[in-house]
Amino acid sequence: MIYLDNAATTLQKPPEVASAMRNALQTCANPGRGGHAAARRAGELVYQTRALAARFFDLEPEQVCFTANATEGLNIALRTLVRPGSRVVISGLEHNAVTRTLAGLGAVVVPVTAPLFDADAWLAAFEAALTPRPDAVVCLHVSNVFGCVLPVERLGALCAERELPFIVDASQSAGLLPVLPKAWGAAFVAMPGHKGLLGPQGTGLLLCRSQPEPLRFGGTGSHSAQLEMPEELPDRLEAGTLNVPGIAGLGAGLSYLLRQSPTVLRRREAQLLQRTVAGLQQLGLSVFSGPAQTGVVSFRMPGQDCEEAAEAFADRGIALRAGLHCAPLAHRTGGTFPEGTIRLSLCALSRPSDVEGFLKAARQIRDQNAVRHAVP
Amino acid sequence: MYNVYWILRSVTPAQRASAALNRIGLQHRLMRAPRSLATGGCAYALTLRERDLGRASALLSREAIPPEAIYLRLSDGTYQRIGP
Repeated sequence: MIYLDNAATTLQKPPEVASAMRNALQTCANPGRGGHAAARRAGELVYQTRALAARFFDLEPEQVCFTANATEGLNIALRTLVRPGSRVVISGLEHNAVTRTLAGLGAVVVPVTAPLFDADAWLAAFEAALTPRPDAVVCLHVSNVFGCVLPVERLGALCAERELPFIVDASQSAGLLPVLPKAWGAAFVAMPGHKGLLGPQGTGLLLCRSQPEPLRFGGTGSHSAQLEMPEELPDRLEAGTLNVPGIAGLGAGLSYLLRQSPTVLRRREAQLLQRTVAGLQQLGLSVFSGPAQTGVVSFRMPGQDCEEAAEAFADRGIALRAGLHCAPLAHRTGGTFPEGTIRLSLCALSRPSDVEGFLKAARQIRDQNAVRHAVP
Repeated sequence: MYNVYWILRSVTPAQRASAALNRIGLQHRLMRAPRSLATGGCAYALTLRERDLGRASALLSREAIPPEAIYLRLSDGTYQRIGP
């Protein structure tokens, strides 16, 4: 199989991820719930991963909270800062993890739009939306539909000047681009563990530079005599037994990334992206691309339903994702609603042969579709 | 003999403190705090030798890891609070 659905999850992980998970399953008990060797081992493993993540994102270990996914992290961040009637400025590219949560909270949502790949235009549009003063600003770092990179550092500076709480969804950038909550002045940054960080599904991180409200309540192995959740992070957000095997795998993914050169990884992905976009354009397909783009590419095959096209790719052993990608707002902003797009997404472990195999299949599918349409 | 108990209320700061002590080679043990010293419920203790307390205090103060309490275990098995 040629796997090019890395924006959904990275299927190819470094082998040490599975080894670490297997080892944790066999040797680790419940961290923070006992003083025996197996509980201590689990506690050490959890701390090692937390400390690795802290190093990776330039924070203190206590500011790194484990979640089940980015959605849980975004729920915590939004539920901390948003009340019914709060005015929340968001990018017009946000995922349902943000838009549904805000709808559920009864927020007044102000989506900001701009040409997809024009970072300056995004910044200007955000700046205009900051009057009247919102209660919070939410922006993803990279669009999960179009791969465009938004100017979160500059937007963070605007928010900091105005003392506005700023939330960043780094789901598509963590592990690929520098994610720097301190430099961005972000209150919270949420991300999954199973995409660019190369960990397993069921893991995520919420990086906290503000005090969050807990989403789950229960035992933390600390302050057990009191009814209230502890004030201290990460305990405040980590009620219940942690996903220790998952955290072990995430730690192995982070270790792998820390051993690589980020510049080399980015250059490799950029080269594959360039080849992908050029190849699709040579086939005469409609491709969404621009100067600041990661390895996520949306495209359309004229006259063909995007889901049917993705099926045709799947029949040839190529894994892509089609439809609205849980981000209908992004498709409205990009002008691709309700039809949707076909999305190809690369990762650090994608190979040139993956792209060539995909382009070969794209040519076949395009030609077959042309023949089908030509039949009277 | 580890007779000083540096009490911390949750595991992550205790682990961070332990990592800091390891970095300077200061011998200690991280354990769950004796129940009688964990007044708020479960807590954690870094146990160390009394003669190392000054070095540990200076380091953990620099690392901004304040103790919930510091106890000395006496020869009769009871604990005497010595800080903060």
